[in-house]
Amino acid sequence: MVPQSTICTSVRHEEAPRSVALGVTYEGRDPALLEKILPYVDYIEVTPETIAEVKDDKIILSPAVMSEFKNIGKAVKFIVHGVSLSIGSHEGWSPNYLHLLDDFLDQVEVAWHSEHLGYTKVDGQHLGIMLAMPKTEQALDLVCERVHTIQERYKFPFLLENIVHVIPDFPGEYSEAGFLNAITERTGCGLILDVYNLECDAHNHGLNISEFLDELNPTNVRELHVACGVEHNGFLLDVHSQLTRKSTVDLAQFAIQQVARNAEVLVYEFMPEAVPGLGHAAIAEELRGLRAHFRN
Amino acid sequence: MDLANHQRILLGLIRSNYQVRPDDDSYFHKVSQSRDLEEARGNILLWRVYVLERACVLTFSLLKQRELLKPALDAFIAQYNISPFRETQPPDFLEALSTHDDPLVASVAQFELSLWKVRQGDSASYTVYWSMEPHSILNNLAKGIPIDEESAPTGDYQILISRDLPFQFQIDRCG
Repeated sequence: MVPQSTICTSVRHEEAPRSVALGVTYEGRDPALLEKILPYVDYIEVTPETIAEVKDDKIILSPAVMSEFKNIGKAVKFIVHGVSLSIGSHEGWSPNYLHLLDDFLDQVEVAWHSEHLGYTKVDGQHLGIMLAMPKTEQALDLVCERVHTIQERYKFPFLLENIVHVIPDFPGEYSEAGFLNAITERTGCGLILDVYNLECDAHNHGLNISEFLDELNPTNVRELHVACGVEHNGFLLDVHSQLTRKSTVDLAQFAIQQVARNAEVLVYEFMPEAVPGLGHAAIAEELRGLRAHFRN
Repeated sequence: MDLANHQRILLGLIRSNYQVRPDDDSYFHKVSQSRDLEEARGNILLWRVYVLERACVLTFSLLKQRELLKPALDAFIAQYNISPFRETQPPDFLEALSTHDDPLVASVAQFELSLWKVRQGDSASYTVYWSMEPHSILNNLAKGIPIDEESAPTGDYQILISRDLPFQFQIDRCG
């Protein structure tokens, strides 16, 4: 049962439970883990930056990891999820990321690709963290123009993800959901609905998830993310270091059944650094449980 | 609100090198006084620790033992434009520490940086000079146990680092 605070007030569907495919993040270099998780997933989500390495002062995709991906064969589909494009930086995005993406696409077939709706650098200076866009007309124009450029460059679907707000939100002309709606209406791009990020924003900044989901135009939501971090100094952190909480799974279930009726995939995200603590067996069990829950 | 100005002020606040002015938008005053900003700065530090403690084991261990880790990381974050690509962070961090005021920190960082380079395929050879016998120091740092500088023999030593050496490095007494 979804927590009462997250239940939307508008009319909801009463149809049979929807089934979505299951995906998982995987960054290579851990074949034993891969063997355990493959039976449960339909998609592998790859973040190119995390499989990059330095060679002759250039940042390239790890040949060993790419070889590992190519050997997986057709058992799963791949989706690419970037973290450093910095689509919202006023001075321009990161060309390094696009070079890695180009290289990845040359080697592995990808169903779609995505980025976070935020920025990680300012005037070429890296923030060390991702910040959310101010919800203003100027920011909207900038993001939409860049989404159009990406859509022109890559002739397959591009999605943007709602990110966690690590500092208080700027009071712009749009609400959180209204900003996402405006982007999808202007560009036709897809959305990733990260429900754990919503929980973090609710915990840390009082986001009303029910109002957010009520206002969100769910037509273009193609993918959902679930994850779990830790609480620190009273803040719920988006660190992808834990197995999912029941509240997150319930919220994802609610979103899939009642809001994001076009969603195709649910992705469980965890950091490779968390693997020793979680253990291969627990991660596989998490995926088995999510599959039983969402893949009817 | 201009986007460029908005982002520049937030960058300054995140890096602790911008002081909010009276005529700045009230939003920036709110952010500058928020617990969120402090937490965000702490999170950035933790992410650096996460990456660097795995990649710079020897230097990290020494900094911790000398209680120099926090100031070293703070200085690194404040002074370096740290790339989001994890792979580039360890050499940048070690480079920054190669000129540290503490000679042992500088020597360990130089050694670890050189070793990192040759393991990445660098065909160059590097020499790092030490004022004490490095074996026991490096051994303890690798195991994460306290170093004992007082019992380490003093003298001029050098470590040659090259991919052509059996273990990629060799310790020699000078002279």
